[in-house]
Amino acid sequence: MKLGRSFLATAAALALAAGVAQTPAVAKEKVTVAFIGPLSGGVAANGLGGRNSADLAVKLRNQDENAKYEYELLTLDDECKPNVGVQVATRAAANRDVVAGVTHYCSAVAMGTVDTYNKFGLPVVVWGAVLPDITYANDYPEVHRVNGTMINQNQVAAEFMTDQGYETWVVIHDTTDYGQGHKKYFTESLEKNGGEVLATFGVTADQQDFTAELTQAKSLNPDVIYFGGLTPIGVRIRSQMDKLGIDAQFEGTSGIVSDAYIEGLGELAEGTVAFIEGAPIEKLPGGQYFKEQYDKANYNEPPEAYGAFAFAAMNLVLDKIEEVGPDRRKVRDALNKVEGRDSIVGEITFDDHGQNAVALITKFVVQDGKWVVWEDSEYASGERKLNGM
Amino acid sequence: MENTQPATAGRQDPTALPIGILAIAGMTVFAAVFLMAESEAAVGGLLAFAAVAVLGAGKLGLLERVRAAFRDHELTMHTAIVIGALAIAWVFREDHFALLMLTMAMLYLTACLGLNVQLGYTGILNFAGSSFLGVGCYTAAVLTQHTAIPPLVILPLGGLMATIVGSVLILPVLRTRGHYAAVVTIAFAVLFKTFLEVNDSLGGPQGLAVGEMTLFGWGFNSNIEIGDFYASFYMNYFLLALVITILAFALTRRIERSWVGLNMDAVRIDELAASCFGINLARWKITAFMLGNFMIGTAGALLGMILGFIAPTNFTFADSLILLSIVLLGGMGSVWGIALASAIIVMLPEKLQLIQEYRFLLFAALVILVLRFRPNGLLPRADRIYFPGWRPR
Repeated sequence: MKLGRSFLATAAALALAAGVAQTPAVAKEKVTVAFIGPLSGGVAANGLGGRNSADLAVKLRNQDENAKYEYELLTLDDECKPNVGVQVATRAAANRDVVAGVTHYCSAVAMGTVDTYNKFGLPVVVWGAVLPDITYANDYPEVHRVNGTMINQNQVAAEFMTDQGYETWVVIHDTTDYGQGHKKYFTESLEKNGGEVLATFGVTADQQDFTAELTQAKSLNPDVIYFGGLTPIGVRIRSQMDKLGIDAQFEGTSGIVSDAYIEGLGELAEGTVAFIEGAPIEKLPGGQYFKEQYDKANYNEPPEAYGAFAFAAMNLVLDKIEEVGPDRRKVRDALNKVEGRDSIVGEITFDDHGQNAVALITKFVVQDGKWVVWEDSEYASGERKLNGM
Repeated sequence: MENTQPATAGRQDPTALPIGILAIAGMTVFAAVFLMAESEAAVGGLLAFAAVAVLGAGKLGLLERVRAAFRDHELTMHTAIVIGALAIAWVFREDHFALLMLTMAMLYLTACLGLNVQLGYTGILNFAGSSFLGVGCYTAAVLTQHTAIPPLVILPLGGLMATIVGSVLILPVLRTRGHYAAVVTIAFAVLFKTFLEVNDSLGGPQGLAVGEMTLFGWGFNSNIEIGDFYASFYMNYFLLALVITILAFALTRRIERSWVGLNMDAVRIDELAASCFGINLARWKITAFMLGNFMIGTAGALLGMILGFIAPTNFTFADSLILLSIVLLGGMGSVWGIALASAIIVMLPEKLQLIQEYRFLLFAALVILVLRFRPNGLLPRADRIYFPGWRPR
């Protein structure tokens, strides 16, 4: 049965390639691609943004008269839970009609499902999960990722900060996988760049008072306080630093790059630096195009930070299907060979683990109540200075 | 709880058995068709059809005969259901996803039978069901990764660990009553998840990989290929889960029919009266709590092996509520009701993937409707039958 299907698919692809070339009006073969993300639960906003973006990519492709196939999108909800993720991944991967997938925003879910994709041979491109292990803890040729990982973000962060002349750090992180991961990879990258971590403090995600940690930090007198975690604690730590009279530079991760951070701190936010995977939509190479199309399609939800990645991942998958035909193995191999390919999130090159090696990282600094891209800021031009410089 | 069903006169109804068998055959076909349904219209139509069919059968008095068949021909009917389950598995032998769903439904059933011993029989509200499921999963993860213990032995060990971990709660549960005991278990559920998240040696928030089930050298994660015959590797898990479910089911039934179940019922209905008659409340509460956790933990160990990867987010308070809602939806103390409810709660959200982010709205509305119009559950618990074929007079 397996043989029959793939034979049929190949035959159909050949027939199409030969026939459609002359008569584009002939009804196109239908090809199904999957999108999996969290459509319900706490991070549903990101999942819906990604879903819409992937949907947009499929719709635009279907409008394209030169496309060889007509694409259908199978959307599944992983609820950001590994057990549900494995279920829906099995559903998509076991369905022989599904040629490839754009999958997962939540790292824990992606970790759980990569085995499933490998077992069933479904090529996937991860669009949002940032945990490095998803691509690096295995040798699965089926698994790829367009977005950068925490490793990329922290490499850039460590290199950038040591270049500025900082030498000593105190690291504070929350104890979720997000915070733990950032602590780990930042510390590793910092060692390579010659920086020194004086102390590391783990805090819980709902802690209110950081006097104990910050008092110890103050006595160590670091150049920089690094915080790996999300906005709410970031705001508290920064304001309590001020109360305790710590004048070290404050450095955050992608988790604090939000308007809420600046609203929560007002003046105090000035000069905070942070890094994100990707870039603001308007800064992306094809961001303007994506934004226009997205607005035109009238979705109820905004694309959110990772929508552009879902769009780029889906486009990449569709491109490869166009190139080699709707055959899982061929699509998988074609994806593994992707090198220097243009997309709206910048160039995509998959390394031997399927990880996008030229992942885009953007440096941000707060200037006059706004997150400003570092290169455009007055800090970079020398008109203002970071703390302790 | 004492049933409203009138005691039918002495003679057996000769039409009961064929109608009962037909009902099971019908349900088998329906389940198979439902699992195959892909489009919104098909799923919606099948749900409407099921509602109409059940209501219609009720009006025609057929449901009464089916019930009589279960009462008078228990062994035949049970065998028919197992055959029905096997028939569905045979139809879907190459379909990984359908088999996975069926297996999940059976494991949820096993766990909920454990909850049923606690809540349905003895009246202990356990809001930490998914935590004990988690203990089973994590036991399986640690033991498959770090020891050479045969995986089949790991299953009861998962149950044992859940019992041991659960024994921490025995004192607080005994010392508190009703709502307060429920709050104790809620606190435990929260504590358990936090513990997993901060504990790096158990994988922290990212979770752990679980090894596969093996039996006599046969790896359960390999597809079955014998000559021309091909079946999904989930068939392995399906068959094992079926065996475990049958064991759990038989155990629950035997408990219900024995003096043990009678004592448990007495504890639930009126603690004061029960202790006046010399029933040791603590003894039965502890027995029910530990036995229930054992069943949940055993199901959890196999669940972990099937999923292959587990993380603390699988075992939230919300998941415990889902387990409890299965017991309530099916009918407290009603084993068949719980079987039906497990199937519904596991399959329906999956089938409703078609409506994406709205599916939980519809799903929740369905649960509320059932509880509103059938407060005793889909299949309320029937009178205790001490022997097959025996009927209350």
